[in-house]
Amino acid sequence: MNKKRSLLERDGVLTIITSVLCVILGLLVGFLAVLIINPQGAFGAITGVVENFFAYSSSRLRIYNFGSTLAKTAPLIMCSLSVLFAYKVGLFNIGAAGQYALGAGAAIYSAYCLQLPWYVCLLLGILVGGISGALGGILKAFCNVNVVISGIMLNWISLYGVNVLLKPAMDPSGKDTFRLLKKAKDSVLPNIGLDKLFENNKYVGLAIPLAIVMAVIIWIILDKTKLGYELKATGNNPNAAKYCGMKENRNIIMTMFVAGALASMGGAMFYLTDVEQWNVNASAVPGMGFNGIAAAFLGGLNPIGCIFSSYFITHITVGGLNVDLKIYSAQVSDFITAVIIYFCGFVLFFKSVIIGNVKRRTERKVKALAEAEAKKGGTKA
Amino acid sequence: MITLLNYTLAFAAILMLVALGGCVSEHSGVINLGLEGIMVIGALGGALVMKLMPTVGGFGLFFLVLLAAVFFGMIYSTLLAFACINLKADQTIVGTALNMLGTALATVFVKSMNLKESAGNNTSSVIKYENKKAFFTNIGNFELNWFMIVALVMLIVVFVLLYKTKFGLRLRACGEHPQAAASVGISVFKMRWAGVLLSGLLGGLGGITYITTGVSEWKFEEGVFGFGFLSLAVMIFGAWDPIRIGGAAILFGFFRAIGRVYPGIAFLRNLNIPPAVYNMLPYIVCLIVLAFTSKKSRAPKAEGIPYDKGMR
Amino acid sequence: MEKPYAIEMLNITKRFPGIIANDNITLQLRKGEIHALLGENGAGKSTLMSVLFGLYQPEEGVIKKDGQVVKINDPNDANRLGIGMVHQHFKLVECFSVLDNIILGVEPNKAGFLQKDEARKKVVSLSEKYGLQVDPDAIIEDISVGMQQRTEILKMLYRENEILIFDEPTAVLTPQEIEELMQIMKGLAKEGKSILFISHKLNEIMEVADRCSVLRKGKYIGTVDIANTTKEELSRMMVGRDVEFVVPKDPANPKDVVLDVQGMTVASKLHHNNAVKNVSFKVRRGEIVCIAGIDGNGQTELVYGISGLEPLKGGKIELLGHDITKAPIRKRLLQGMGHIPEDRHKHGLVLDYSLENNMVLQRYFEPEFTTKAGFLRKDNIRKYAEGLIEKFDVRSGQGPITPARAMSGGNQQKAIVAREIDRRPELLIAVQPTRGLDVGAIEFIHKQIVNHRDSGHAVLLVSLELEEVMSLSDRILVMYEGEIVGELDPKKTTVEELGLYMAGAKRTEVKA
Repeated sequence: MNKKRSLLERDGVLTIITSVLCVILGLLVGFLAVLIINPQGAFGAITGVVENFFAYSSSRLRIYNFGSTLAKTAPLIMCSLSVLFAYKVGLFNIGAAGQYALGAGAAIYSAYCLQLPWYVCLLLGILVGGISGALGGILKAFCNVNVVISGIMLNWISLYGVNVLLKPAMDPSGKDTFRLLKKAKDSVLPNIGLDKLFENNKYVGLAIPLAIVMAVIIWIILDKTKLGYELKATGNNPNAAKYCGMKENRNIIMTMFVAGALASMGGAMFYLTDVEQWNVNASAVPGMGFNGIAAAFLGGLNPIGCIFSSYFITHITVGGLNVDLKIYSAQVSDFITAVIIYFCGFVLFFKSVIIGNVKRRTERKVKALAEAEAKKGGTKA
Repeated sequence: MITLLNYTLAFAAILMLVALGGCVSEHSGVINLGLEGIMVIGALGGALVMKLMPTVGGFGLFFLVLLAAVFFGMIYSTLLAFACINLKADQTIVGTALNMLGTALATVFVKSMNLKESAGNNTSSVIKYENKKAFFTNIGNFELNWFMIVALVMLIVVFVLLYKTKFGLRLRACGEHPQAAASVGISVFKMRWAGVLLSGLLGGLGGITYITTGVSEWKFEEGVFGFGFLSLAVMIFGAWDPIRIGGAAILFGFFRAIGRVYPGIAFLRNLNIPPAVYNMLPYIVCLIVLAFTSKKSRAPKAEGIPYDKGMR
Repeated sequence: MEKPYAIEMLNITKRFPGIIANDNITLQLRKGEIHALLGENGAGKSTLMSVLFGLYQPEEGVIKKDGQVVKINDPNDANRLGIGMVHQHFKLVECFSVLDNIILGVEPNKAGFLQKDEARKKVVSLSEKYGLQVDPDAIIEDISVGMQQRTEILKMLYRENEILIFDEPTAVLTPQEIEELMQIMKGLAKEGKSILFISHKLNEIMEVADRCSVLRKGKYIGTVDIANTTKEELSRMMVGRDVEFVVPKDPANPKDVVLDVQGMTVASKLHHNNAVKNVSFKVRRGEIVCIAGIDGNGQTELVYGISGLEPLKGGKIELLGHDITKAPIRKRLLQGMGHIPEDRHKHGLVLDYSLENNMVLQRYFEPEFTTKAGFLRKDNIRKYAEGLIEKFDVRSGQGPITPARAMSGGNQQKAIVAREIDRRPELLIAVQPTRGLDVGAIEFIHKQIVNHRDSGHAVLLVSLELEEVMSLSDRILVMYEGEIVGELDPKKTTVEELGLYMAGAKRTEVKA
């Protein structure tokens, strides 16, 4: 008996392969799309997307923009962790977008209107999203409302709610809220010296290590703790969880609270770094939450994997600005991201195809070996 | 008041069409969460006809626009059908992907088309108000949109299809008990494909209705404001029954319309509530309604579960 | 004169990896007769029917219809040959009307529009002709199980099927409904339909069948004329004369009461009747009490009620003197209940978890496995799992880290048995603990259960296997249609007598 399993049969390896496959397919479809729109610039467009800051000629600019990309990655990591955490318990947190908006709103409000220190702003942001998530959980546990539908409804309610909340924080010269760096300096997340590493990019700061730490914490919770053990059991087999006395409703509500808190922490930390300001007339739910879905699945539903997949998605989203805006639009990267999620839906199918191939090959080998054995035996006899 | 009625019926028509699409798909056993995306793509189809054939006027244009929206919606829904029925992919992920993809695809396409026409025109809108006039008939102060009639016709058609035809009986059997359907020789795969394609047809119609009645100027970047999901709520509230869906659509349409016309109503204007609250209204009503109606759900029993021939 | 054969299955052999499900089985059904197919669970009846409906292709043997060899590749082929079946679990769309269910798949229509009027006429005339009372416009979920079954029968008649198969049709019926069904079947046979009646209820077979073929462990035992046989003989043919292995054990020494069930009633998920009806019994320390019975007579629901997976509709449960009627599951487990569940995939295991994580499913929260801060003590889990794996000889590809999904059924079951017995529960509920296992594993698990009893604990065993019931238990309670119909002493009773109780042919008053 051959006990050693082929490399391809290991789940981790398989996950990475399928994720890379999804990325390649996504880029390929994206390339085809730009090719159809305008064949001349197509190659340049797609390389522009993939290159992002590498496209800059000066190394200073490259490093500075690398920093900006990282700053935008941090909230996406949080959103993907949110989606991942809920999914491990069998819930689809499409409400991450609204929770993200709530986190942003609460943080900006407590920063500009209340002038609170950054850590209080961050905490309030986390709390608001957590409550919103828990509301979805309660509706699911006690009223059997599908979390996807309630999540979407809460997304819109949150968006309009935040718009109302932030009206007083609007800079009259535009549609956005005031720049916190100017109006509420104490509320901006500290740089902890990281800005120096990225050519004084003042948007690089605490958010990035914080997001990575959160990914590690989520990984630890899911992998190392009693809580994670219970939650995953509930997600994998609710009947078995019930059989051994776990409390399903409590687990659902708690999971949604944590998921909501994670997404809103992303919103809070992003706006507290002041990279962007909130558009008070925003009429679309922030895409960050939806990209979180993409990042979570592309990351193979592994918290550490989410760090990389979030980076990749941010990388191509920022890279989208590199396309020749006279011919194409920056949404080419949104398009690629969407295609990637679509293919992520096939992950199980891809995996079974790969495993099936490996098995067939091993079987053939075993059969050949057996036949060879038999021949040898035959000659002996 | 007449504007309130006007908008109520306009929004109801959109919600009705899309909710009927969701209803047909779910009766076949597939949850279609990608209706937002289907609406966008359907709208794109219709909008392109309006843009590319400005000379065709009146009823001819209307017909062509309808046809294009239906065609685009159906083609787009094959992405869902193939993934969820043939490859048994997770219906939630695929639906979500279709929503994102729809908006992104339409935006990329329209923007590049606009850019090609005139450099610097980086908008994602296609049609202007004048184009849409073709679809209105004024009856006194009431602006009758032809799509309202389409919605009403589709309501009747879907009702008849589901409950009066051989096809409908078989379709519903596949959503309730696919093993039973298969045991009397019905191809569950084929029926589910039909269900999803029909939802693409109705979703596409809903999309074109949305851009011609729901909004004055429409940018593809904005998607359809959760209308696809509101429609799913309408469908749940309507208990997967076409007639009740019609009623639910009017109710939700009313709340949506209030958000649009409240400045014109003295009583509401004097309350001095921020406009965003009116915008939230349909979603809040939806959540409350769902909280009270989801417990005893009449959802097709086998919806969301990929059909596997081996399972008995 | 003998009537000709309507359908013949000749020398059918069907193998699955590691098991011969049908070993040279011959079944010949005459025109116009009621032919019973008798056998215990796992005797190969359902495999044989799957072959007849083209779901499996046999390795050997042929099927003949009216003397002609036919090839059946899928259920549609069977339908075309006029073979219809009433499945044990009905294939009815619950929110459809009776009429819609009957015409589904063969709808009369004009240009696609349903023409229900002529269908209704045909259904009404069929139901009058065969005495099948149904309301064509009633919705399936509102009508009784008996009427649902009549709908299934009408489905076959509407399609003009000639060969009607009834798969365990009485399992879910009330006695009155069973009586009606018997009359209906006789009427159908009189009209020239050929009926195959799959059952293991001897009374019913004796009442209604003309002939009976018996299967045991995948083998064909024989076919007898009902007129020339007795219940006792059929029972012997079904279970075999000799009990093949005996569990070595001392006589029981029952002490104080551990489990006291009083007047328990549990609703059914499958039908409107209660699955468990006013059941009372006690289980004491140092004894193995076995609930015997044919599948679907309320055993599953009885265990759900005791373990807390289903709420009670009435009655009271006491564990070691504490009222646990409304206690949450975790509390019951901590107060000394252990549960080897009936369905290891549904309840027993988290299939995507590793073996070691499944081993601590009932104890992961104990200080041995979780620190005060809430972290899992993975070393301890590993050590504990390795200990159990060795002690209970659980085999798997990669030891403790093997995903439960990748293990064989027997080893999955061993893992569950190990987990539950090692907790030393005061009351061990073991539901079909040896289902689907090989002889070695069965022996091992039996020994563990006896050891558990001998160390002063109570065991409630639920089993469908007569041999297991006879050899393992100290006291037998027979369950029939949700009630306990007899209490037997395995040393004083015979398999035949047990079979009569299980088949509802005999009952005595039982005092709790």
